[in-house]
Formats: sequence, C-alpha cells, structure tokens
Amino acid sequence: MLNIALPKGRLGEKVYALFERAGYPFAGMLDNTRKLVFVNEELDMRCFWVKPFDVPVYVERGTADIGAAGKDILMERNPDVYELLDLEAGKCRMAAASREDFIDDETRTLRVATEFPNIARKYYASLGREIDVITLRGSLELAPVLGLSDVIVDIVETGTTLRENNLKVITYFADLSARLIANKSAYKFKAGIITEIMRRLKNDRDN
Amino acid sequence: MQQFMLRPEEAASLPLRRLYSDCGYSFYRMSRFEEYDFYADKKDFLMSNAVLTFTDADGRLMALRPDVTLSIIKHWRNDGGVQKFFYDEKVYRVPRNSASFHEIAQAGVECMGALTKKDIDEVTGLAVESLKILAKGRRYVLDVADAGKISALLNGNREQNAILRCLAEKNIHGLKSLNAPEEIIRLAGSSEEIGECIRVDYSAVGSLSYYNGIVFKGYIEGTSECILSGGQYDNLMAAMGHEGAKAIGFAVNLELAGGIEHA
Repeated sequence: MLNIALPKGRLGEKVYALFERAGYPFAGMLDNTRKLVFVNEELDMRCFWVKPFDVPVYVERGTADIGAAGKDILMERNPDVYELLDLEAGKCRMAAASREDFIDDETRTLRVATEFPNIARKYYASLGREIDVITLRGSLELAPVLGLSDVIVDIVETGTTLRENNLKVITYFADLSARLIANKSAYKFKAGIITEIMRRLKNDRDN
Repeated sequence: MQQFMLRPEEAASLPLRRLYSDCGYSFYRMSRFEEYDFYADKKDFLMSNAVLTFTDADGRLMALRPDVTLSIIKHWRNDGGVQKFFYDEKVYRVPRNSASFHEIAQAGVECMGALTKKDIDEVTGLAVESLKILAKGRRYVLDVADAGKISALLNGNREQNAILRCLAEKNIHGLKSLNAPEEIIRLAGSSEEIGECIRVDYSAVGSLSYYNGIVFKGYIEGTSECILSGGQYDNLMAAMGHEGAKAIGFAVNLELAGGIEHA
C-alpha cells in the first residue's frame, strides 16, 4: 500500500485535482466532511489530509511514502526527503515587505514578523543583517501597521492584501509552488509506483 | 546466547561484530571523551555542528565524542600497510531538525593505510553483508556513488552547496534553476542497478569535505531513514596529518537496526 499525504486546504485541493486527473482518484476526498483518510483499494493506495506544515514530517518519518508540500514549508522545515517534481500549483513568491513609509535604519536590529522564522533568519543572515524574529501564526500585515515589527517575511501571491494595508514589497527572494516529495527509504523499495506517479503528474503538467 | 538479556541495539550489533571479526578486522575500543579542542578545529568534518561538552576534574574542557572515525584516525599510526578495525560505540549528536542531543549506538568498520581496490571492494561487500544480516529477510539496498566525480564536476562552482543539496534531494528542477552542469543533472535523475541489492545513485553524495571516493548509503525496507552510511575519506586523513594515506569505512545506526523485526 502506498501512502500519500496532502496538505489540507486550497493548495491541497489543487494538488488532489492533479492526482485525480493523473488517474489516482480517491472517492470522497473533496466532500466537505471530517473524514481524513481515503483508500483506493484497486490502486492499493491511501491518501490523507494533514496540516500543510506537517506534510514533510509525515513523509520524512515514513508514515507517508510521498506527499505534496509548498516550497515555503520545505524551506522552513528542511526535511531529509527527495523533492521529485515541481507540480507548479499554487505559484507565489516569498517576500519581505514593510509599510510604504518605512525607511530602514541599518544600524538598528530589524524587527521581522513572520510565520517562517527559519526562512527569515537564513535570508537576513545572507545579507549580514541582524534581526529580531517575531513568530506569528497569521494576519502578518497587522504587525507593521500596528508597529509590532518593521518588516514582514511572508508569501505574496498578487500583492492585493499588502496594498490594501498600505504595505509595499521590499524584495522577492524565492519562487514557491507545490512540490512532490518522497521518503528516501520508501523511494528505494516502491520506486516503480512512485516514478510512475511522477511521470503521469509531469506529463499532465506539461500538456 | 541469552538474547533476552540484550537490548535491541545490542542484539543487532552481535552478528555484525562476528562478521567483521571473521573478516580479520580487530576490535577497537576507545575513550568516551576527547578534549574539546580536538573537535573544535575539525568542525567541517563533523556530521552535526554541536558537540556535548563538560569540564573535567582538572578544569579541561572535554567532549563526548560525536564521531568515532575522527578518534580512530587520531590514534592511528601509519605502518605502511593496511589496518582494519571495527567498533561498537555510542556517539552524541544533535540530529537534523532536533534541538537536543541524542545518544546513538553505532557499529562500523574502518580500513586505513595503503588501500588497494581489493580493500575497497571488501568494505563495500561488508556493507552489503551488514544490511543483509540486519534486514532479517526484508528487502535492502546499498546506494553507491563516486564523490570524486561530483567534486571534479563542481570544481570552483560558486553554487556548490546548493547543488549538492539538490543532488541529495533528486531535485532536478532545482538543479536546472541553479544552472548545474548537465552531467550532474543526468546523474541526479538516474538510479542504476549494478549488482544484487547495489545501485548507483548519486543522491548518496552528501558533503564533499568528508568523502572523496566511493560513498554509500544503505536502506532496509520498513525503516524510514538511511541505516548505514560511509565511504572513502582520504581528504580527512590528509587533514589530520596522514598525507597520502587512504581510508574507507562505514557506520551502522544500531538504534534503527534494533527496531527491525523479522519479515
């Protein structure tokens, strides 16, 4: 049996649609119920919804053989897994943003609010900038508006939310999208089926 | 043997010890502690950066060893021939993405000195044989790759670390976006069976500071991570004052091995 972990939410639904189109349907996956595990006996596969941040954990620990996770979450979690394919779903970018009137005083420690503390630390370390990371769990735009932080490091899709809150992008520094990942050990022993899934998903993506 | 008296990782190590001993490897015992300075200037060669330290009774800063190979090399004397050791020891490391030290039981072999192809083949064979014993009837595979080849292809490449990371992840799209050499992209996507349970797979190449020749990573069906890893580390020998000496070895994670049940 092959176990597949998909991220619960909008991105996961897009990715599930790709799996379905590639010939891997799981009955009831998109029904609005509390059910989390779906089995396709014929394919000998099991698919389950988990929190987006947890997909790499399930895959790294081998509870799921493969999974789909946003590149943002892979960058943040840094799991020891194979990243087999860019599914090109949910494309967006990682950016640093601030209030429109913000002027950076480089002699001061920069206060950075983010849901991705590791990504923020790594990015500012690459610039040689000392920062104070403030980890939040959402509504990042509030932080600079209310003066909690100088900048935010967050995912930007269209930039509308930023503009509505009078924020501007300082810089984009990573391209994000959903990636197909696999447990390293599972890949050794289920290589046939995993490469077939990869091949079909890639084929559909490119056509 | 009273198996019920043994902890799982001890039970897993016994047949390995017998195998290595039967092949002419001698049992190596070492001190659990080294002076911290010894590790501090070899950070490049440590698998994890953190070293567990304590102050000895005479005020010296000591460390619980994070790596067995370094200690063996430190005490090694080159006699011009080939020396073969095996060990069964604990190491203290902070695993990837963890915030605390773990005690990990390891068994392994080291073969040092004027190595020939025969010695390298022997150690590779022992790695496969070790996996076979630990697998208890389950499937197993040894991935091998040539770190020297990757080293040559990346010579002077500014994106070396990012490329190595993508190679370890089989991340073809990442390699393309880094403009990695074509040959590396080709190697990242291939996995070729060259013998029973041996595959050439370049995702086995990790850091290039430690290994310079053949590298291996062993997997057993049902364990979620790599259970055996090793390779040829002439660079490390040179860095530790044994210029010209060759060495190859591998370690088995006995904590993982102890959890494997019969198929």
